[in-house]
Amino acid sequence: MAGLYIHIPFCVRKCAYCDFLSFPQAEAQRELYLSALGEEIRLAGRLFPAQGYETVFVGGGTPSILEPGEVRTLFQTLRQSFSILPDAEITLECNPGTLSQEKLEEYRASGVNRLSLGLQSAEEKLLQEIGRIHSFPQFLDSFRMARQAGFGNVNVDIMYGLPGQDKAQFLSTIEQVAALGPEHISAYCLILEEGTPLHERVGRGETRLPHEDAIWDMEQEGRAALAALGYARYEISNYAKKGFACRHNMNYWENGPYLGLGLGAHSAMRLGGWRRWENTRELESYFQAIKAGRLPIQHQERIEEKEEMFECLMLGLRMLKGVDRAAFQARFGRDLCAVYPEAVEALCAIGWAEVQPDAFMLTEAGLDMENSALLYFLED
Amino acid sequence: MAYDRERIRNFCIIAHIDHGKSTLADRMMELTDTVALRDMEDQLLDTMDIERERGITIKATAVRMFYTHTDGRRYMFNLIDTPGHVDFTYEVSRALAACEGAVLVVDATQGIEAQTLANVYLALDNDLEIVPVINKIDLPSARPEFVIKEIEDVIGLPAEDAPCISAKNGTNVEAVLAKIVEAVPSPRGDENAPLQALIFDSIYDNYKGALSYVRVKNGQVKAGMRIRSMATGKEFDVTEVGIFSPALKPTDCLRAGEVGYISASIKSVAETKVGDTLTDAANPAQEALPGYKHVQPMVFCGIYPADGADYENLKDALDKLVLNDASLSYEPETSLALGFGFRCGFLGLLHMEIIQERLEREFDLDLVTTAPSVIYKVVKLDGTQLTIDNPSNLPPAAEISYMEEPIVEAHIMTPSDYVGAIMELCQEKRGVFIDMTYMEETRVNIKYELPLNEIIYDFFDQLKSRSRGYASFDYEFKEYRRSELVKLDFLLNGDICDALSTIVHKDRAYAKGRAVAEKLKEVIPRQQFEVPIQAAIGSKVIARETVRALRKDVLAKCYGGDITRKKKLLEKQKEGKKRMRQIGTVSVPSEAFMSVLRIN
Repeated sequence: MAGLYIHIPFCVRKCAYCDFLSFPQAEAQRELYLSALGEEIRLAGRLFPAQGYETVFVGGGTPSILEPGEVRTLFQTLRQSFSILPDAEITLECNPGTLSQEKLEEYRASGVNRLSLGLQSAEEKLLQEIGRIHSFPQFLDSFRMARQAGFGNVNVDIMYGLPGQDKAQFLSTIEQVAALGPEHISAYCLILEEGTPLHERVGRGETRLPHEDAIWDMEQEGRAALAALGYARYEISNYAKKGFACRHNMNYWENGPYLGLGLGAHSAMRLGGWRRWENTRELESYFQAIKAGRLPIQHQERIEEKEEMFECLMLGLRMLKGVDRAAFQARFGRDLCAVYPEAVEALCAIGWAEVQPDAFMLTEAGLDMENSALLYFLED
Repeated sequence: MAYDRERIRNFCIIAHIDHGKSTLADRMMELTDTVALRDMEDQLLDTMDIERERGITIKATAVRMFYTHTDGRRYMFNLIDTPGHVDFTYEVSRALAACEGAVLVVDATQGIEAQTLANVYLALDNDLEIVPVINKIDLPSARPEFVIKEIEDVIGLPAEDAPCISAKNGTNVEAVLAKIVEAVPSPRGDENAPLQALIFDSIYDNYKGALSYVRVKNGQVKAGMRIRSMATGKEFDVTEVGIFSPALKPTDCLRAGEVGYISASIKSVAETKVGDTLTDAANPAQEALPGYKHVQPMVFCGIYPADGADYENLKDALDKLVLNDASLSYEPETSLALGFGFRCGFLGLLHMEIIQERLEREFDLDLVTTAPSVIYKVVKLDGTQLTIDNPSNLPPAAEISYMEEPIVEAHIMTPSDYVGAIMELCQEKRGVFIDMTYMEETRVNIKYELPLNEIIYDFFDQLKSRSRGYASFDYEFKEYRRSELVKLDFLLNGDICDALSTIVHKDRAYAKGRAVAEKLKEVIPRQQFEVPIQAAIGSKVIARETVRALRKDVLAKCYGGDITRKKKLLEKQKEGKKRMRQIGTVSVPSEAFMSVLRIN
């Protein structure tokens, strides 16, 4: 299992809470970027070992900002350079404010079979507060068009803990989204990231986030509501109908190999040991590297086995099914419980974790305290 | 310049903090070409970083200058810089014994301050000639004529022809040099008599080892001589003698009347105590010079390494610091909460802060400090008497007949506008008013008796804030007095945290207990369970707060690009956790112990 990630760093306007690598674009810049990205894809296709990719994820930014022809070219280049398996999950992230029927038809024709729509909330006031470019009706339109274009696997992103949001609003968003019947819902708690406009507004006291108790209630009741509506939680923030868990993201959490291409994209792969690297985040140096025929890698590290084991836990324990003990054994030649006997015992004793014959997983309480739980596995 | 005792002037400068002492010293060095202008850093004599940052002098330091007087003759000046803070009166008194004169610098905008007065009296007690100088006349609010009158009225010194200067601008500093030649007597003594050299300070130099700063009273000392400590009888071979220029500069010989340093085969400064007299082992002097009275530390606190593994490093650091600072005392102690550390004694609260800062900065240590304490006298029902400098060692209340606490007499000088606010502060601090005198129409000197344990926390800060920085104060130990004292404990999730225990007056216990409990609630991070915080006297709980349980700490998102970031975050959390102290079941960050010290 290996995943391919493509980063499109452009958006119409940056949202108030967003700390992803994205920025509003000029058309000329976008064209330059896409041509450089094409070069990087071709270069990477030659340099990296041939393997079948089971998932492709085009993320951003707002990939749906691209013109239909641009997406077509992108996928042509990808398919020429990499072996993308016939049953691959191919996701494209979309902002409802940027979609049209024509675009969606073209995505379908390009082989995209999964859409991820960023809604965040069904409340107009909240959408404005956090700087989204779309309205709820626009989202409804987008969703309808997606279905019409033949997308049978759609994710909707929603958020809680937004400034001014109350529990009723969040639950109502869940209900209205679930009524559309998407296959997947991601429900994220807002993280106030430094350097974002929202962080500054909160710092200046102009905006207030809900009290943590209120957030806790939204979370608990939101989870119950999603479960009742047929969405099973399979990761900290992710819910899906049976069989629709996001394969691309599951690969991240299983600490599997992935190749990331585009500005600031990250990759992890076994190349003489487990390695992770990161592309430059500067557009100029990205262009320069590509022009010089080099991969635009800015930083890379070799992950020692001990760290690799920890990362398997750090990521794997985010999933409700936990870390697969057989997979761990196959990867490292040792049973997880034998590598971390004390941590496993301590976490089970306080009711945060469970050992089962085939997996080691966190309980509901443990999932909420994942950070603290992970500290047990870090060496003194 | 050939040695001529008649042309030596040994003097110090006494002044309140910020009255311009170090600036004046800098100007003098400039005028006498002691240091080239381009080499001159501001406040040359203040060599420690902390001294520079805080703008105060902690250690006495010395410098030799040569000045050509209007009579055409060259004079050798030995300037000994002295600390200006109440905690360091002891250091001042040592420096004074090496001098014949003192330049008294008074700020023309502020007038005489409490500590200045205390140091002037010390200088007069040492028979020093005082040379008053009015500084900062360049400031618009300067009123030199008032200050001159104040010096005459309050100290009783003639000051009508005191030089009015601006050390900052260099105005009239020449007149100060001339005045020193004229007013300060040359040292007495006989260079051919047996050696008598008074150690007025000692430092540990990383290259030269333990150095003694001396004033040669009689005789002479040079490299190769065998000298003897008259206090311990120990003998050493002199490897080098030298002067301060202001960097250490070797010379052939130090003669009667001169000030300099001696480097000998001295292993530690403890072997040649400040106040000791060094003499010639081959031709010893009959008697030692009068030394200094040994000062007792007044304020104690526990100092612990934040990371228990640093205990040995802390010990080494204290060993080194005490070489430079004889007034610091320390002995090992253990705390249930903090593990192995040291109970350290200080001259006062500033001294304590400075030592802590030096340990952290110069030795790169992370420290946890317990609440400061004074020495209490305890008489038990069975008649046994104890002295207690650590609240944890206080016997149970049921065994105590009575307790006594140290009382000081405080002198507070302030513009009369703030008298009300200051008296209110003193009342709050259990002060007993003694009297108040007017130094001039708008300035008063207030005398109060205050329990020392009330002034070691925030008295100084409070005094400054309530007088907008204008009031100054000085205190001296008066006596031990019976007092209704109780031990105030703090419990975290039911376990006493010994490092937080303090001894307080019973009338102040409730307010203090509440304030500290509230503060603890702020600084103790949420744990996986609810943590009750209780303040208690014996078994009686007088205040309670609760740190709520932490229910959630997971990050909402973690995809490919977040892995490195998340791992770093976890490693940082782990580091933070390592720096926490385990009190029973509760993890308490080291900062918590410090933050409760700063409570109003």
